[in-house]
Amino acid sequence: MAAVLRPYLYTGGVHKHGLLIELLEDLGGYIIQKVVTGTEVNLIMLIPEKDVPVVKKQSDELLGMMVEAPLTGVEIAVISPTLASHHLPHSACDVAEYLRHPGANTNMIGLARGMGRRVSLSTDYERKLINEHDIAVFTFGSFSDCIVNKKPKLFEGIEIPIVVTGGPDLKTEDVPGADLYVGDIGRTSHRLRKIEEVSALDKLNEEVGKIADNIRKQQAKDPLAVLPARAMKEIENQVPEIQTVLSPAPLTLQLNGLRVKLPYDEFHERLEKLEFDEGVTLSELANILKSKMKNYILIKIKSKSEVGFAI
Amino acid sequence: MMNPLEIFAVESAIASEQEFYRKIIEDNLASLKLAPAIGRIKVMLRPEDSLFQMAILLRDVGTRVTTADIADVEAKPVAGEIIISIKKEQYIPELLGKLWERYGKANISQPDRWTVAISTDKAEEEAAFLKDMMVADPRHRLHENLVDFAIRVTPEGFRVRYHLYKGNRFIFVASEEVFKREWVEEAEAMLEELMKGGRT
Repeated sequence: MAAVLRPYLYTGGVHKHGLLIELLEDLGGYIIQKVVTGTEVNLIMLIPEKDVPVVKKQSDELLGMMVEAPLTGVEIAVISPTLASHHLPHSACDVAEYLRHPGANTNMIGLARGMGRRVSLSTDYERKLINEHDIAVFTFGSFSDCIVNKKPKLFEGIEIPIVVTGGPDLKTEDVPGADLYVGDIGRTSHRLRKIEEVSALDKLNEEVGKIADNIRKQQAKDPLAVLPARAMKEIENQVPEIQTVLSPAPLTLQLNGLRVKLPYDEFHERLEKLEFDEGVTLSELANILKSKMKNYILIKIKSKSEVGFAI
Repeated sequence: MMNPLEIFAVESAIASEQEFYRKIIEDNLASLKLAPAIGRIKVMLRPEDSLFQMAILLRDVGTRVTTADIADVEAKPVAGEIIISIKKEQYIPELLGKLWERYGKANISQPDRWTVAISTDKAEEEAAFLKDMMVADPRHRLHENLVDFAIRVTPEGFRVRYHLYKGNRFIFVASEEVFKREWVEEAEAMLEELMKGGRT
């Protein structure tokens, strides 16, 4: 059985950061994302639990910083009622940006007709798109009457955990259908940077981290046939075209799969035939689907009980 | 004469929601630079009825601006040109727009930041006309900004709207339901109240 992997975020200078990558490869860890900005580099990585001190030592030698990134490998949908200036860029973008700090990949989704009380609704396409993610974060406004009585109809058909942000101080159980409610992040026309606003964002990150942990725990009972990170690495090795993709995070990890930002029609057969060292192909371990997002490919990995074995 | 924002009232059944909206209104007033133009403002929030009502009393925002207010106009009949020496830069875009329309871009040059030169055969007459030409009407700009402001602060779903702009009075009512006559009447009453209640 594969070792338990811990998600970490490394921030440091570009100088000699290759040493860290090599070390990680030797230890059997994975680089999820590497972002170079000027002379700085950010590495999001999965490290085998028992080897964390070894990597920490190397990171200290490079004078870098290593922090735990509990939302690594989680793709979150941040859903705003519409894309109008009433909700964007504040506070929906602030929420999305803040969730990225602990390692999550976030996608902003603006519903076409999500605004209003009686008139708000979502389409089948939108619901399917949201369901491709691991967690859905709905950013609502400042009226408790709307959040409690009117907006929850947008949750219909959403099968993933639902997090709601809004202005008023409500309890999670007051909002029907929500798995978590975080207050103090309502509709604003300024950046969220006051103490109470930033604390609310911190609380959001912490609680969303707990939801992700819960999903992981549930998953551990019947593990995935292959780690999404391992599938990611094989795709990088066997489908070199992924290096030419300009989208941010060309391979986006999810808790139970990954999104491949390559056109479906052209590449799905090659991904289905992707072979692992053990001699099995990806199509035996996972469902390879056409994503609702653009023309991308969505890979949802089957569980061990379904496949009969895990690698 | 009213002071800027001498009355700034936001009312709602729930106190905390009132504060959220007060903040939204403040932010939007700031980003549209409207605060100096508004004397008294009252906003009524009734989310349970899907209703947003706003009444505003504007301050005196100044009169129309003519060329003579912002520049010296000098006719040079011998050279066949008019020289405009700018004193207030903020109205240059409007001024140029009007000049281009009247004389054509080819006949206008800007030798430097503070000077506009127009070549014309009738320098004397044209200079006299230009001095009294209206360059900008701040009230027009204010109207655009007020409507923008109203739409920005209203909850997005409230797309059935009514607005009135007369003299220094502005009323805005928005909802997502079929309009009721009394909603507008209530907003008018809010305005009446604002007109009575000044500084004490």
